[in-house]
Amino acid sequence: MFKQILVPVAGTPADAETIRMACRLAKKDKGKVWAVSVVAIKRALPLDAEIESEIKKAEEILNKVETVAEEEACEIETDVLQAREVGPAVVDEAVERGVSLILMGISYKQHFGQFNLGSVVPYVLKNSPCPVILYQQSIISK
Amino acid sequence: MLDNIPPKPGDKFFRPRRIKRFHLRRVLGIPAVFSAGYGNVGSSIYYALGIVAVVAMGATPIALGVAGILFVFTALTYAEGTATIPEAGGSASFARHAFGDTAGFIAGWALMLSYIVTISISAYTIPPYLGYFWEPFKTSPVIGTFTSVGIVFFLMSVNVIGIRETSFINVTATIVDILTQISLVVIGFITLFNPSVLFHRIIDTWPTPENLVIGIALATIAYTGIETMSQMAEETKKPEKSVPRALLAMIVAVLVIFAGISLISLSAMTPEELATVWNRDPIAGIAFHLPIETIKIVLRPLIAVLAGTILLIATNAGLIGISRLAFSQGTHKLVPPALSRVHRRFKTPYVSIILFSVIAMVILLPGFSGQSIFEDMGVLYAIGSLLAFMFAHASVIMLRIKRPDMPRPFKVGWNIHIKGRELPITAFIGLISSGGIWILLLFTEPYSRWVGLGWMVGGLFIYLIYRWSRLKKSVDEWEIKPEKK
Repeated sequence: MFKQILVPVAGTPADAETIRMACRLAKKDKGKVWAVSVVAIKRALPLDAEIESEIKKAEEILNKVETVAEEEACEIETDVLQAREVGPAVVDEAVERGVSLILMGISYKQHFGQFNLGSVVPYVLKNSPCPVILYQQSIISK
Repeated sequence: MLDNIPPKPGDKFFRPRRIKRFHLRRVLGIPAVFSAGYGNVGSSIYYALGIVAVVAMGATPIALGVAGILFVFTALTYAEGTATIPEAGGSASFARHAFGDTAGFIAGWALMLSYIVTISISAYTIPPYLGYFWEPFKTSPVIGTFTSVGIVFFLMSVNVIGIRETSFINVTATIVDILTQISLVVIGFITLFNPSVLFHRIIDTWPTPENLVIGIALATIAYTGIETMSQMAEETKKPEKSVPRALLAMIVAVLVIFAGISLISLSAMTPEELATVWNRDPIAGIAFHLPIETIKIVLRPLIAVLAGTILLIATNAGLIGISRLAFSQGTHKLVPPALSRVHRRFKTPYVSIILFSVIAMVILLPGFSGQSIFEDMGVLYAIGSLLAFMFAHASVIMLRIKRPDMPRPFKVGWNIHIKGRELPITAFIGLISSGGIWILLLFTEPYSRWVGLGWMVGGLFIYLIYRWSRLKKSVDEWEIKPEKK
């Protein structure tokens, strides 16, 4: 059912479990997982500006993700993207790769005392070309 | 363990690319590119009309029209250049590919001057429009200039921190802007347009030939958006197709709206009134002269708010444009690396933002003494942009000669064949006319001559020192120095 799964990762504690879940879903159909880490570039810089600290951070996140996928014996491909905004970049990546599922991991976040999803998740939910599964870590275990 | 091994001289030169995966995600389509370009061009009508009227008087519509023809040639050149080289940098990138690093630097440095003056001039014209709400904004030079400097300072701070600005805001502002301008043109034609009055006003206040040419040069200020659209090529989907299409759409929109507004302005008021009372806020002047009270009540505050917003966006666009350009030039080792230094926390090029904002504020300072800096700023802008346009035309011609087989998804028509090479006539006309006007401005306008040439010479000096120091450094790096004992 889900032969190609896109997992946007952001270095949150939920990443490892999300990748594990994506691998298990993909393995059922002999599918493949793509993990992307998006570096958001401010408008005062050209889109191809190489901010080493940010790219290094993104690569570290993807290295961890690759380790988890290896443990699960799952085929994974990782990529760093540079974009102005994270949400449109994820949706665009999903369209371009023609994925059958976007699996996103989220952590429990509060904004002014209220549970908040941020801006990326609602954008992806609204504009995704394929089904989206949200995975939230257990609040208690966190 | 590896840390214990002393570095060898050869180690310095073998640096495999550490970043193995690195992709750009381009998400902008034709509407976003068009709106970014029109956001700039559309904003310039809010001051270009008045600045042209100061020298061209009755011939203001003619000056804008002739500049419009030049704009078509320039837009075609940019369309081919951007389709061929879809990078950030616009004419600076074309020049670098066509003529090498030094030409790339000169074109980029000239562009930086235009961006700085765009920041100053846009900020300078915001207070007069806001004068509808509080008159001292328009009438007091101290309050007006203080506000303009404050606006640049505010935007500098905001950009150093780094704001999130979505293209949605730009698209919305552009749609509202176009609708208001079209409404003004339609209402103006119905209520104000009178061909015989217009004809007499044009004839009675026809300028001297010299002033007409300066007016045409100043009118190029109305067409700043070409460069902005070209700069956005790097974040546009299929830039080789989208950018030329957006450019062609803008040619039509701009020529129609600018022709309409310039004709109505001279139907609404005399050229003298346009050049004195309403020179900094000509669109507010048109709204002020509308004969129907109800429309006037609605349009005057709307134009005040809209012009203020659009000009604020244009000031910010200038600041963003220059910081991106400086970063891009820094990446190609054309300017000192300090200009492309990124803030550790905010991830913004804070040095270039602060430096260029301060220069823009300095340009505004004579305004405190009530001195008329409006025309000077306009000519200074034209000096920078015409030089950049000249480089763009020359580069497109040179690339046709040097690299005729380069893929060109958009190719300008009307070519002549010389020694088996296809050369675009429009680029030649654009190059000659831009060059002619540029030389004339240098001869006739002392402020712009000295400030403009000073900027270019100062830049070249910095460039040569920087390149020389890099050359020296790279030679030093090859030398194997004796080990210290």
